[in-house]
Amino acid sequence: MTPALELDAIEGGYEPGLPILRGASVSVAPGEIVALLGPNGAGKSTLVKAAAGLVPIWSGRVRLAGRDITGLPAHRMVHEGLGFVPQTENVFANLSVLENLQLAAALIARQRRGSLEKMFSLFPDLDRQRKLPAGRLSGGQRQMLAVARALVASPSVLMLDEPSAGLSPKLVGVVFERLRAVRDTGVTILLVEQNVKAALALADRAVVLVEGRERLEGAARDLADDPRMAALYLGHAA
Amino acid sequence: MLQLIADGLVVGSVIALGAVGLTLTYSILRFANFGQGEFMTWGAYLAVSALAVVLAATGAGVMEPLGPFSFGWQLIVAMILAAALTAVLALLVDWLLFRRLRRGNAITLVIASFGAALALRNLVQFLYGTLPEYYTREIQIAIRLVPRDVLGGLRITPDQMLVIGLTLVLMLALQGLLTRTTLGRAMRATAQNPALARVAGVDVEGVIRATWVIGAALAAVAGVLAGVVGQVRPGLGFELLLPLFAAAILGGIGSVRGAVVGGYIVGLAESLSVPLVGAEYRAATAFVVLIGILLLRPTGLFGERA
Ligand SMILES: Nc1ncnc2c1ncn2[C@@H]1O[C@H](COP(=O)(O)OP(=O)(O)O)[C@@H](O)[C@H]1O
Ligand SMILES: [Mg+2]
Repeated sequence: MTPALELDAIEGGYEPGLPILRGASVSVAPGEIVALLGPNGAGKSTLVKAAAGLVPIWSGRVRLAGRDITGLPAHRMVHEGLGFVPQTENVFANLSVLENLQLAAALIARQRRGSLEKMFSLFPDLDRQRKLPAGRLSGGQRQMLAVARALVASPSVLMLDEPSAGLSPKLVGVVFERLRAVRDTGVTILLVEQNVKAALALADRAVVLVEGRERLEGAARDLADDPRMAALYLGHAA
Repeated sequence: MLQLIADGLVVGSVIALGAVGLTLTYSILRFANFGQGEFMTWGAYLAVSALAVVLAATGAGVMEPLGPFSFGWQLIVAMILAAALTAVLALLVDWLLFRRLRRGNAITLVIASFGAALALRNLVQFLYGTLPEYYTREIQIAIRLVPRDVLGGLRITPDQMLVIGLTLVLMLALQGLLTRTTLGRAMRATAQNPALARVAGVDVEGVIRATWVIGAALAAVAGVLAGVVGQVRPGLGFELLLPLFAAAILGGIGSVRGAVVGGYIVGLAESLSVPLVGAEYRAATAFVVLIGILLLRPTGLFGERA
């Protein structure tokens, strides 16, 4: 079956001559949740940013349901159906909750646009805070808004960079439970995570990235107690 | 006293219109555009040319004044044309110059804008000469709004009232655009976080073009209004550049509301200081006020970034 998202031998980085991604390949099947794991500095964020059009790709291809979208400007990716939730500063703090969603909705063609009311029913917390500047939301609510903002564009694939960062374990559970609900509406998910345990509990499969290349992949349930996982993390912690 | 306040509001209106463009380009493009004053000058002169064309096209020779004002409808048409042409000029400068430098640092852009300002100022002198121009030779009778024995009294011309009124209308319209339209939200989003804006689907280059159009058009209107209540001179915008910066900075650079309030504060400070320090130090008072406010509030009145 054609993968929903295929990152094929991506090389790229922030400055010419300083590669961060060294041929990274990750493939996500339709309806799957894939966790992208790996030690700090492995290039996980860089890989999803490159796929989203924010970091230059020097070679390799990004395909969305088989369509080559490599090198499209970031704002075009949204129209192609690739959504991205960055790790930090992922909401417009000066805009109200409603304005954050209105902006995302207005920029997308009507037939693609999800209804704001559907978003508010998926994230009832946000419904109660419509008028509040997004900068005043709690960490968990802010993460929900960031996800909702991306979902308004009805992406076929959603990439998230560490949605659990800075959240209490309880809130991580709440956010991940929402992500499962999002997947159940038919959205394919690529999830970058530091929180290995929570990520493996949610994901179907996982890919471990080390130094800009995938080094290990498999079913989430198998990797949870695979000794090679610890080795890959420890080997680069030092 | 009242008279000085009224005069300050007229000057403040012109400064506010110019400062809003300055603060918008600063917040979206992240550099201080020293060419903003020249857009005012160009707007004023393009309106001189547009007025001549409109008068020639309608075969009207001279302008029949409109109601109590010193000018006719032809100047309104000329102002709209001048605003559109100045917007095109700004887009052209961006395309030729700033676009290529966006990936570099802000200092490069600021210095480039110095260069652009110099070139634009010289080009205006070359095309129009250095003698002042007037939209109309019509003499206006000032209306006495307040008798002389109340706080010194107040006389104001209909043109001056129009300057203040039109500025307020334009600022309300801009506020509406920024808060109620998709373009406005996209501009605020880009100002705050350009990378996230792109991820959310904002065409940032499109937002940049819209910002130039709005900023330059407002500057052109400011230039025309300055010409209506004074003269059209090659130094018109350059002489207002420092007050524009003072207004934008003291309002909190990046804040539209701040630029408007800052414009009026600078205008009033200049006007009210005349009896205290004399007309020759009038320009310096803006800076005394600026320094005073920045000592109390380093981010300006409406500044957000710490
Ligand atoms: N904006 C940037 N400019 C230059 N280098 C960066 C930038 N962001 C990250 N890097 C570098 O890229 C490498 C990978 O970082 P990142 O993709 O954030 O890793 P991860 O998300 O796996 O922790 C690191 O060496 C980091 O220093
Ligand atoms: Mg990261």
